[in-house]
Amino acid sequence: MRRSYLFIPGDVPRMLQNLDVFDADAVIIDFEDGVHPDQKEAARQLTRAFLKHHATRDVAVFVRVNAWEEAAWFQEDLACLSGSPLSGIVLPKAHPKHLTDVVFALEEAGLPMQIVALLETPEVFFHALELAKHPAVSGLLLGGEDLTQALGVPRTSAGDEILFARSTLVYAAKAFNKEAIDTPFTTVDDRDGLLADAHKANALGFTGKAAIHPNHIHDIHVAFAPSVEAIETAERILRRSETLKSMRFSLDGKMVDKPVVERARALLLRAAASRRR
Amino acid sequence: MPVFYKTLDACLDALPLQSGMACSFHHHLRNGDGVLNQVCAALEARGMRDLHLYPSSIFPVHAPLADMIRRGTVSHLTTSYINGPVAEALGEGALKGTLRMQTHGGRARAFKEGDNQVDIAFIAAPAVDRDGHASGTLGPTACGSLGYALSDVAHARIKVLVTDHLVDTLDTPQIDGAAIDAVVVCESLGDPRGILSGTTAPTRDPIGVKIARQAIEVMDAAGMIYEGFSYQSGAGGISLRATQLLEQSMVTRGVQASFFSGGITGMHARMLAAGRVQKLYDVQCFDLEAVKSLASHPDHHAISADAYANPANPERIIKNLGTVILGATEVDLAFNVNVTTDSYNTIIGGSGGHADTAEDAALTLIVTPLLKARIPIVREQVTTMTTAGAHIDVIVTERGIAVNPRRKDLMSKLQAAGCDLVDLPSLLARAHALSGPPKTWESKGRKIGIVEGRRGEIIDTLFGKVAIP
Repeated sequence: MRRSYLFIPGDVPRMLQNLDVFDADAVIIDFEDGVHPDQKEAARQLTRAFLKHHATRDVAVFVRVNAWEEAAWFQEDLACLSGSPLSGIVLPKAHPKHLTDVVFALEEAGLPMQIVALLETPEVFFHALELAKHPAVSGLLLGGEDLTQALGVPRTSAGDEILFARSTLVYAAKAFNKEAIDTPFTTVDDRDGLLADAHKANALGFTGKAAIHPNHIHDIHVAFAPSVEAIETAERILRRSETLKSMRFSLDGKMVDKPVVERARALLLRAAASRRR
Repeated sequence: MPVFYKTLDACLDALPLQSGMACSFHHHLRNGDGVLNQVCAALEARGMRDLHLYPSSIFPVHAPLADMIRRGTVSHLTTSYINGPVAEALGEGALKGTLRMQTHGGRARAFKEGDNQVDIAFIAAPAVDRDGHASGTLGPTACGSLGYALSDVAHARIKVLVTDHLVDTLDTPQIDGAAIDAVVVCESLGDPRGILSGTTAPTRDPIGVKIARQAIEVMDAAGMIYEGFSYQSGAGGISLRATQLLEQSMVTRGVQASFFSGGITGMHARMLAAGRVQKLYDVQCFDLEAVKSLASHPDHHAISADAYANPANPERIIKNLGTVILGATEVDLAFNVNVTTDSYNTIIGGSGGHADTAEDAALTLIVTPLLKARIPIVREQVTTMTTAGAHIDVIVTERGIAVNPRRKDLMSKLQAAGCDLVDLPSLLARAHALSGPPKTWESKGRKIGIVEGRRGEIIDTLFGKVAIP
């Protein structure tokens, strides 16, 4: 599970050249909304050349292609990326009704069958399970800005307006053991706001969070890393479970049962993975 | 008691001027300094030739000096930093005599030991009282600490204060009027906007932010953030971001630093006011906030270059310095650092306190992007040696952290903390993979000067600018 997905515009050479120094677990090279229509071809050529000539260190590379409905751009994106060493694509305006065609197009282009579905319309949240169930979909990503625009409501720092979408997405992704990726925090220089937003996403069950600025990556990782106290508690639960050879016991006056033990084990695995990165 | 003159010309009429004499200036007015230009123009008008100037630094505002060098008015130059048109003239080989680049501490030592012999020190003084005492914290061109001028005051044969702000009495003067021979009152010492050009904002550039964060992680892993630690950094964007992150770390740990030293910014002053640090030892102020703090906070101390960094002064402040964060224009495989020239021999700076603090601090970190303007910073050999690799402990880049192999103790601590360690040849290879190897030139060009170490030893030669094919 990746904690961070960093959006990088495909038409900015300096950002591309440094995409593996920002410490994100994954980057999303953007061909869609972050690139002006006049620059889309430049972004394609630049990205293709970059991926061909530069090995990237310790980072999964995705491309947010243009939406399936933008047929010409979508086809040109995939044709240009054909054979590139990508981890997968991010599919904007994702909808289950397009998935078969998208998978076929990926196959034709010789691209890996790994799709991060970007959910950004109100309707698609009622099809989230279908998206998550599809074997080519590796994760669901919430597009909070487009969604609230479609809902006709302002984005707020509290995020009540996207709570249903967040929870729906998490439930669908978790039902099929897929990644649940939260929408980016869009204020660049509000560290407290970012940390609060990322902590909330972690608490809701997201496995990671997207970012629109490299300076957000560190704090996202901080928010998604298990706390020292949580690690210590998890270690004590597992030690006690092993000592008693039981998954049902009392610790600090609280009952521990099988889900709690398994959650402790998962938390320690996540902590170990964080340290390795 | 000094003699007061209403004009510079009246003062010059009374001084024993002669061609070939040595005159010194300080750089606390930075790129707003008008004093060096005024004095040199007046000396040239009086037919002086072959002057030896000892300005502590030279900035773009000193452009008229370039033509004075070409005309032979100025034939020798001894300084610690050069940037702008004067550097261009030097690169052309226009200086007929010697060019010596000294460190800030080395300049103070050279004055004290008689290596720098100055006939007349012209000292820009933002405020002067009726007894000839001077301060840098008052007046329309207040610049704060006058730390680099104090060697000149102590050792030049004739000391002239130049001021645009006369007051009755100064309560806490930085220069004692008893040491002064003359005071010139002029209309203006310079442009206050240029005086305050020393500092930038903490970088928001993601690469700079990453480097700054790693620098603090290295300090942490090395065990250098503790109750009573000491710290120095520059006023560049990465350094300021590092200082900002350091403050967050200090708050989290609940530790207070004993002192920050060197060039002081508003950020340092705010940390003093907030009780994060006990004392500031200020050899130069980089902005108005620092000037105000120096004027008002009892634990913000102006210090001389001698007290700051003279290697022959056993009581120098930086002898007790814990960590210093410094920049680089080039770094080579032996950890040598260049901040004096670019890769085409053009002078773009100088040591300032770089070599002084690097040698004395317990932990010396170089923070730099691996590439600047697509040019690799790590090279097989630096174009010009400013600071010897023996005094550099760690180089922090966005693509890895290199630890000097002689610091095996650090290596193991940083490894244990999970820092992204890499050796310098690998960093060089990474840079070349991104940009290609830089072009090299057979001819070094004409010799134009020397770089001195802190103790006056010659550590490198400066050459004329390379013509790019």
